[in-house]
Amino acid sequence: MAVEDSDLRQRKKKSPKKATDAITGQVVDDDEDLVKTGIEKLKKIKKSLVASSDSDEPDTKSKPKPSRSAAASSSAPASGGVQPHHGFDGVALLLLVGGLLTRLHQLGLPRAIVFDELHFGKFAGYYVNNMFFFDSQPPLGKQLLALAAHFAGFDGNFNFDRIGSEYPEGFPVYALRLLPAVAGSLLLPASYCLLRQLGVSRPAAGLAGLLLLLDNAVLVQSRFMLMEPFLLLFSVLGVFCLVRFRHYRERPFSLPWLGWLTAGFVFLGAATSVRYSGLLTLLLGAVIVCRDFWTLIPDRRVTSGQLLAQLAARALAVLAVPLLVYGASFYAHLTVLHKAGAHDNVMTSAFQASLDGGLASIIQNQPLEVGHGSQVTLRHTLGRTCWLHSHEGVYPVKYDDDRGSSHQQQVSCYSYKDVNNWWIVKQPDIDDMRVTSPFKPVKHGDIIQLVHGMTSRALNSHDEVSCYIDYNISMPAQNLWKVELLNGKDTGNVWHAIVSQVRLIHQPSGTALKFTGQQLPDWGHNQLEVTCDKVVQQDDTIWNAEEHRYTLAEGSEKQQEDMAGAEMLPLSSARLSLWAKFTELQLKMLFNNQETVQGHMYASDPLDWLSLKRGVAYWISPDSNAQVHFLGNAAVWLAASASLAAYAGIMGIYLLRRRRECYDIPEDEWDKMCDLGLIVLLGFALNYLPYFIIDHTFFLHHYLPAYIFAVLMSACIVDHVFVLLGRVAGGWLRLPAAAGVLLWLAAAVYTFIRFSVVTYGTTPLSAPEVQALAWRDTWDLIVHKP
Amino acid sequence: MKAKTTKSSDGDPVSISKWIHKFRQSKDDHTWWTTFGLILCLTMATRLYRLDSPDHVAWDETHFGKMASWYINRTFFFDVHPPTGKMLIAAFGYLTGYDGKFEFEKPGQKFDETHYLGMRFGCTMMGAALVPMAFITVWELTHALPAATFAAAAILFDNGMVTLNQYILLDPILMFFIMGAAMGQSKFYNQRHNPFTVSWWSWMAFTGAMLAGAISVKFVGLFVVVLVGLYTIKDIWDILGDLSYPISYTVKHFLARALCLILLPTVLYMFAYYVHFTVLSKSGPGDGHFGSAFQSQLEGNSLHNASMPREICYGAGVTLKNHRTAGAYLHSHPHLYPPEAGPVQQQVTTYSHKDYNNIWLVKRYDVDMPSEEEEAQPDFKPECVKSGDLIRLEHEATSRNLHSHRHPAPVTKRHFQVSGYGENGTGDSNDVWRIELVDGKEGDQINVVTDRFRLIHYMVGCALFSHNKQLPKWGYEQQEVTCNPNTRAEFALWNFEENYYDKLPNVSFAIYQPSFLEKFFEAHMVQFQGNAGLKPKEGEVTSRPWQWPIDYQGQWFSIGDPDKREPGPHKDHEIRIYMMGNPVIWWGNLGFIALYAVIYVWNFVSSARGVRESAQERVRKANLTYACNWLMLAWALHYFPFYGMGRILYYHHYFPAQLFISMMSGVLVNYMLESLPRAVPSFRVDQTWTAFAVVYLSILTYSFYLFAPLTYGMSGPEKKEPGHRYDHLLWMDSWEF
Repeated sequence: MAVEDSDLRQRKKKSPKKATDAITGQVVDDDEDLVKTGIEKLKKIKKSLVASSDSDEPDTKSKPKPSRSAAASSSAPASGGVQPHHGFDGVALLLLVGGLLTRLHQLGLPRAIVFDELHFGKFAGYYVNNMFFFDSQPPLGKQLLALAAHFAGFDGNFNFDRIGSEYPEGFPVYALRLLPAVAGSLLLPASYCLLRQLGVSRPAAGLAGLLLLLDNAVLVQSRFMLMEPFLLLFSVLGVFCLVRFRHYRERPFSLPWLGWLTAGFVFLGAATSVRYSGLLTLLLGAVIVCRDFWTLIPDRRVTSGQLLAQLAARALAVLAVPLLVYGASFYAHLTVLHKAGAHDNVMTSAFQASLDGGLASIIQNQPLEVGHGSQVTLRHTLGRTCWLHSHEGVYPVKYDDDRGSSHQQQVSCYSYKDVNNWWIVKQPDIDDMRVTSPFKPVKHGDIIQLVHGMTSRALNSHDEVSCYIDYNISMPAQNLWKVELLNGKDTGNVWHAIVSQVRLIHQPSGTALKFTGQQLPDWGHNQLEVTCDKVVQQDDTIWNAEEHRYTLAEGSEKQQEDMAGAEMLPLSSARLSLWAKFTELQLKMLFNNQETVQGHMYASDPLDWLSLKRGVAYWISPDSNAQVHFLGNAAVWLAASASLAAYAGIMGIYLLRRRRECYDIPEDEWDKMCDLGLIVLLGFALNYLPYFIIDHTFFLHHYLPAYIFAVLMSACIVDHVFVLLGRVAGGWLRLPAAAGVLLWLAAAVYTFIRFSVVTYGTTPLSAPEVQALAWRDTWDLIVHKP
Repeated sequence: MKAKTTKSSDGDPVSISKWIHKFRQSKDDHTWWTTFGLILCLTMATRLYRLDSPDHVAWDETHFGKMASWYINRTFFFDVHPPTGKMLIAAFGYLTGYDGKFEFEKPGQKFDETHYLGMRFGCTMMGAALVPMAFITVWELTHALPAATFAAAAILFDNGMVTLNQYILLDPILMFFIMGAAMGQSKFYNQRHNPFTVSWWSWMAFTGAMLAGAISVKFVGLFVVVLVGLYTIKDIWDILGDLSYPISYTVKHFLARALCLILLPTVLYMFAYYVHFTVLSKSGPGDGHFGSAFQSQLEGNSLHNASMPREICYGAGVTLKNHRTAGAYLHSHPHLYPPEAGPVQQQVTTYSHKDYNNIWLVKRYDVDMPSEEEEAQPDFKPECVKSGDLIRLEHEATSRNLHSHRHPAPVTKRHFQVSGYGENGTGDSNDVWRIELVDGKEGDQINVVTDRFRLIHYMVGCALFSHNKQLPKWGYEQQEVTCNPNTRAEFALWNFEENYYDKLPNVSFAIYQPSFLEKFFEAHMVQFQGNAGLKPKEGEVTSRPWQWPIDYQGQWFSIGDPDKREPGPHKDHEIRIYMMGNPVIWWGNLGFIALYAVIYVWNFVSSARGVRESAQERVRKANLTYACNWLMLAWALHYFPFYGMGRILYYHHYFPAQLFISMMSGVLVNYMLESLPRAVPSFRVDQTWTAFAVVYLSILTYSFYLFAPLTYGMSGPEKKEPGHRYDHLLWMDSWEF
């Protein structure tokens, strides 16, 4: 390299004219290398000319330039023109076959619930049975699994109780695991093609595919009913399409230009619809497309009209296409899941009422308008599900921190349906609890009392919320509440069951009845605390009447019938529009506080991922030490991490040298390296760095999307090293380098085979055998049998 | 600028327009100083007005006042922030005769005879310096007097800024250093054409010193370090690109910066800690947060001047301390677990007070050795505990062994119960623990105080563990001790703190005395843990970063004393202070951010698409881009990182970012005004310019006046009560005053 370097410098000293001569035909010898250097030289001169005109003589800018501006070409992809071939060739085919062989091998084993199959298998069952469920991740991947389950004839009747349970006879394990396995196999040729598109040589791209094939972590994750195979495949395919799209820069709005652009964002949208972390790769796509547009602006060959059209097309692709895919997956989600199910009460009453069965069947025929004499359950509408509750049992005379209390009957929020959740709405001036005739509905702004059904005590508040017991002391009852309807406009300012969102404002203090989220101590049976808060405008002060019936007089049965007939809850009002359901579900997913397991045994920090500090135990056989442990191939893993540093180091040196006008590598190789930085390194960074700022419990498998990019980078570094060595001393150094790569590959193969026992989990191991695999003392493989 | 408006009543239009012209041209020293002086006067007036009210503790003064007292009394305490800010407050107090006797118990407590004004005055002066420093910074960035004036005015007339700067808080000090670093950086940048001169060196050193100040007041000072760091990189990059100099020239520049911007701040930062440790030499409320070795240096601590054997040997009586912030001692007492908490055996807890029941005897797992006869022999050599040994811990007072078994722990059901078991030291195989040294290998000797270790239960394979969860009443609310199946859990580390064994020579504790560097690093570990522990509780309403720029909600500084407030005329004397940014300025700033984005894109596209421009116009645009990019970057660096922070956040965290965006508004307003010649006929330019400038400044002043009661004290009925005087100011529902 040093030789070449000085050589280049010497040529630099030649006058531009001479250099130009070198390529305009005077070259008679067939020294290809010289011609190449000459072309580079010319490019450079052109560039520096343009650069100088940009900075020093801006007036020349406005002059129309007949020749193609070279400024634009610097940002164009390395190959400049269109690559006709998409890169799928024999190598890709081999990779696919290899992938299928490794992934499908003993796919049905272990025949037990492995790790998160617990969730995803369950969800597939819900889809098959059309039962609504709630999960904080988007549905596309689960739908794909469900599709497989449907075609395999799974009836959804299997209780996924805990990790390690055996699948029953007739459960289509193979079919359910097949789709992720195929996706995981396709990932290999897809990565290969992506690198080929980026201008990486065939052997290096093949190497990348081979490394992914040999990685135990990617293999484990592809063999079970998990979401990552889909996420990874869609992400890589999306980026592949966008790189392909970049090759058509010179032919905007041609069919392939539009096609690849759309396809790219369809895939990236699909990745986002599998897991929200797909958003990070979608962001990468957006950055690529926007950056290319930015470099297009100074290109005078493009008219302003064309620029605007490009802007519109790119914006549409970035925003609309993924949204459409995302929306479509939720459309399918909400249409398929029309029955009430296990997770209903996460959703609002209105949402639940729109599902078949469940709440809908309870509230069918219940009266609509709440008024004097209504018996209702009051549900905390947003956030955690619970109902306003009271029971025999008073607040302790003194709290633990020595504050005194009112010693009144406890009021709490209770997460289960209970007879003590019933309250009777009463107007202060009427003593009879029965509904009046004519019926008096409660309107926005009315003052009411709430009488607890089982104890007949009224909801009261003196700083603490209670049901008032008359102790005959100087503390008078303060049991008047003003009803504020948040969405009163929809119901003509009348309080409706289910749909009306209500704030209960205590009179005269003006505080609002609020769910605090805190648990009461033992004296309150660990139920949830209810208080009054001065801050009225908050979500936790919103309540709605859920179940509803009228308190009826003993005698007048005719009146009863009249009322029941007249006030029937029309079923159509419980039909939420799909859009309303979609938005509610989105908000719920966004603000769902997942109860994270702090200090999980196998949790790891983002920083641990780079060095493969910890794996995750996925499954252990009850009879032996056979186990599935999610752990990467150390030989591949560490090299991948190191290659990121290597890239940064190499590019850092080039950048500093270029700053001093020393051009060490050919310009097209330089452009290729820049592209790799934009796509592979940025892809890694976007998929990795956000985990540092998200406060959550993470596991090693969260790193996989970033890891794919890291593996690609290691192959790119190998490619670059070979390009460099090819330019030094006749290129003979490539031989030892190739031997080094082979040695590395051998190490990878050895590690792969060594750890395949805990990847496939079909081999019973002795305790020493397991211990021999714990290469680092932080790898906690399980030994529970001798 | 104000002078101009007041002078206009004198009726001398010619001299005024001349003055304005000079002001716009910004060439004249005299004009510069007049403007600067005026701004200085206004700043002092707004900042010092009603400095003494309220005459009770306001908001976080309760913390920082207390800490100042601790410094003055030299008692050791713990706080999540670095020491410089608090030491400055203490210094202000000390110099103005505050004796450190006031309790600062809670907000609302009356100061009465206490000399509190000195501390308030010191903080206020540092806060007041923000305005002139902003003026100078923008002047250095743009060399336009109007821009500097507008920028200073946007900070000067921000009610929230005045409020935040008027009290005994860290924020005025922090912002002073941040602004100082920004000013130093811009000054230094303008020295770039005469490198290695005295002023070049001194401004760079000034910047470095300010950086040290910023980061040693609060860790958010790190953002300004990043800002200066990024600009230094860019600077070096530019120098490297200058091919007329050899590379050694770049290296020289780099070394100079490393000296002034890395080495100098590091030394100053560490010096702050050195002073901190030296001043706080007495035992105080912060002891428990630190390790045993650290505590041994504090006068009055029980470990101070203590002496004990160094090695842990079989037969010794020891206490075990859970190795974490405020870790407590392993403890047992002759009370049993109730039936609902697993097997009814003797309770084992951790207890933070020193007590006879914390003492455990170290025994071999199998035999009671050494026997008394052996010990009595003259040539007896005690056998000491090594890492990897199997040991048994016998509770000295009750002679029961530390024991665990596969039954769920009383509170944390995922863990196993730990109990005291056996009679007179005879138990079963579940009493055996393996001791594993951290950062050591098997066979290493275990020393008191300095060595950390795990105790792994031999049969179950779990690790002795403790955390902050309390046992119920039956456990006297001591902390739960469990055996954690995750042996790598953070709180499974212990160290021996006391060691009683008369067969070994005692050594003075002084040998464990940590060096300054060890203390420095330990203090940081504890601070980071403390910061990470500041999480909002479930259901607590906390301030979110998106609320800040839109001025969604302020912060009560003083609510008077609601308990003592009675109906009637007394009410009028209660003063309430509500810190909230001037909404006109804050919302305006949001508009300026959007405006700048539009201008930036517009300028880029028009130059990229080859629109013809005069050279002067290009320079003007380049200047705008330089100044605004710098300020926007500073704003973004001081704002966006908060989105990623898990800790509890407050409204006042936004104020450093607000400083930069206010400065940008000044630059941008000036740019817009200077664009007038393109829109107005030339003979009208001066008049239009003046009109716009006067209107802009009047709006700022008037809005400040409008919201001034929030800053200087409101009285009368509260929001929503009848007779509320400030209804006309409640522009948003979320405002609480």
